[in-house]
Amino acid sequence: MEAVIEVIDLVKEYTIAKKGRGLRGSLKSLLFPQKTKVNGVDGISFSIAPGEIVGYIGPNGAGKSTTIKMLTGILHPTSGSIKVCGISPQADRKAVVGKLGVVFGQRTQLYWDLRLGESFELLRRIYQVDKATYEENMAVLGDVLKLNDFIDTPVRQLSLGQRMRGDLAAAMLHSPSVLFLDEPTIGLDADAKHAIRDFIKEMNRKMGLTVILTTHDLDDVEQLCSRLVVVNHGKVVEDGPIDSIIGKLTPHRLLVVELERPCDDLSHPAATIIKQEGLKVWYQFEKVRVTAAELISDLSQKLPIQDLSVKEPDIEDAIRAVYKGY
Amino acid sequence: MLQAYWYITKMKLLTNLAYRFEVFASVGTNLILMLASVFLWQTAYKGGVGTVQSFSLQDLTTYTILSIMLGAMFVCDVQDTIYYKIREGQIVTDFYRPIPLLACYLADDIGGMLSAMANRVVPLILLASIFFGIPWPSSALSLLLFFPSCLLSYAILWLLSALVGLVAFWVMELGNMGMVKDSIVRVLSGSIVPLWFFPESVQTISKFLPFQYTYQTPLGIYIGNVGTKEALGAMAIQALWVGLLFLLLMAGWKRTKKKTLIQGG
Repeated sequence: MEAVIEVIDLVKEYTIAKKGRGLRGSLKSLLFPQKTKVNGVDGISFSIAPGEIVGYIGPNGAGKSTTIKMLTGILHPTSGSIKVCGISPQADRKAVVGKLGVVFGQRTQLYWDLRLGESFELLRRIYQVDKATYEENMAVLGDVLKLNDFIDTPVRQLSLGQRMRGDLAAAMLHSPSVLFLDEPTIGLDADAKHAIRDFIKEMNRKMGLTVILTTHDLDDVEQLCSRLVVVNHGKVVEDGPIDSIIGKLTPHRLLVVELERPCDDLSHPAATIIKQEGLKVWYQFEKVRVTAAELISDLSQKLPIQDLSVKEPDIEDAIRAVYKGY
Repeated sequence: MLQAYWYITKMKLLTNLAYRFEVFASVGTNLILMLASVFLWQTAYKGGVGTVQSFSLQDLTTYTILSIMLGAMFVCDVQDTIYYKIREGQIVTDFYRPIPLLACYLADDIGGMLSAMANRVVPLILLASIFFGIPWPSSALSLLLFFPSCLLSYAILWLLSALVGLVAFWVMELGNMGMVKDSIVRVLSGSIVPLWFFPESVQTISKFLPFQYTYQTPLGIYIGNVGTKEALGAMAIQALWVGLLFLLLMAGWKRTKKKTLIQGG
């Protein structure tokens, strides 16, 4: 199947004016600005197939937002090419924007002073959605997001969770083929987060919606995304299914052993003790060198074990490894 | 598309009609301004002079009342809208929509103007009629010419405001620029004191500026200070300014958009 989004060698160069220190410095930089060029995005390539939910993650300042802005056509790349649904957003921004839905967790596109439904009516006219399609979409959206409870409330009186649901509906009204979500669950309580994740999954399943999600909430990633694109310093550092990224980046597992009484010789040739706290000992071992079963049987022969547990590395460890390592 | 603009206008209209206190405050300030100006003219004419530069006291009273009503009606919020949207980063969400931004802002201001007509101009004209009598136009023809001239005035004012708004894209911090522009407009448009009372040199210079064509032209037509032929000529100049400012705005907007898209604002 043809890709919905195709990004090849994307580069975005920023010019940053260096500010001098103190009065003399600022005078100097006012008269002779020193400019340095920084690559915010430095050669990113990826392609996304229809119906994928992709987590686009990276530390702050890694170039995530810049990429999203270029994909939606509100920034022009310095070089490289972008195709969204086969169209370049730089050549025909309006055509591309009509196929996109965009939601920012920290911003709203709803009208502050008016009731929620009013914003939807306006968007219907802006995107020129005909009445029948609109009613149909509203029925589905209203049902999944439970909009009917607050559709007549002015937006400024909505809770953050309600506002977020309103924003999601606003982004989906014109049945876009791609949805960009920028930290959609930021600041929400567990219940609201859950509702929003459910909604994304539902839309993906029902309509084959392609979703690109940037977030720092790794629960979002774990529950929603089948694939991750990890960026750092403007480059793609990992791209693949979540499991394989975790396996590749964090080959270690942990065995936590609780002893009955203190012992002297705790060591094991295939594992390293990384922490010890009273009677509790943490062993770190590599899957390829020794299996958990072997390690447990070895240790139980020489140590009086009361309790034990094996910890799989999770997405958080993997992501931390990425942010630190590159 | 047109539907969308109309909906924006309608939403603005409804929002403004909902804010009652603001209406009272605005009618109050405008009324005070009106009373003060008219009393000033009355004092100036007390010396027994019948006319000054061929204006009767009644002419100037009418001029003042209408000037204040136009001021209350001509809503040009674009410059502030753009400025706040940029400051709060909200401009980005507007860019995501497949609809021209400036046209949306115009639709918004037209909504503001319509609501101002209902809740500011009507009470002001009633109050003014009670205090000073109904400010009649000098003739039916002058009333007829007054309306299209007002439309052109509004176009000039709006375009000026939008141009100032564009500056916000470049400097991020608009500061007092908007206020400076507003003050220049207020004085040089003849909205407080008609330019006919200004020194010859100022009058000559202001002929080549857009400002006097915003208030003085329609008001002069209304009180019958200019003949039909002159009135049509003045309206042609108004139209010329509208065209010129429109081209300027389009060129500026194109460059601004390009710069924003390339540098990320």
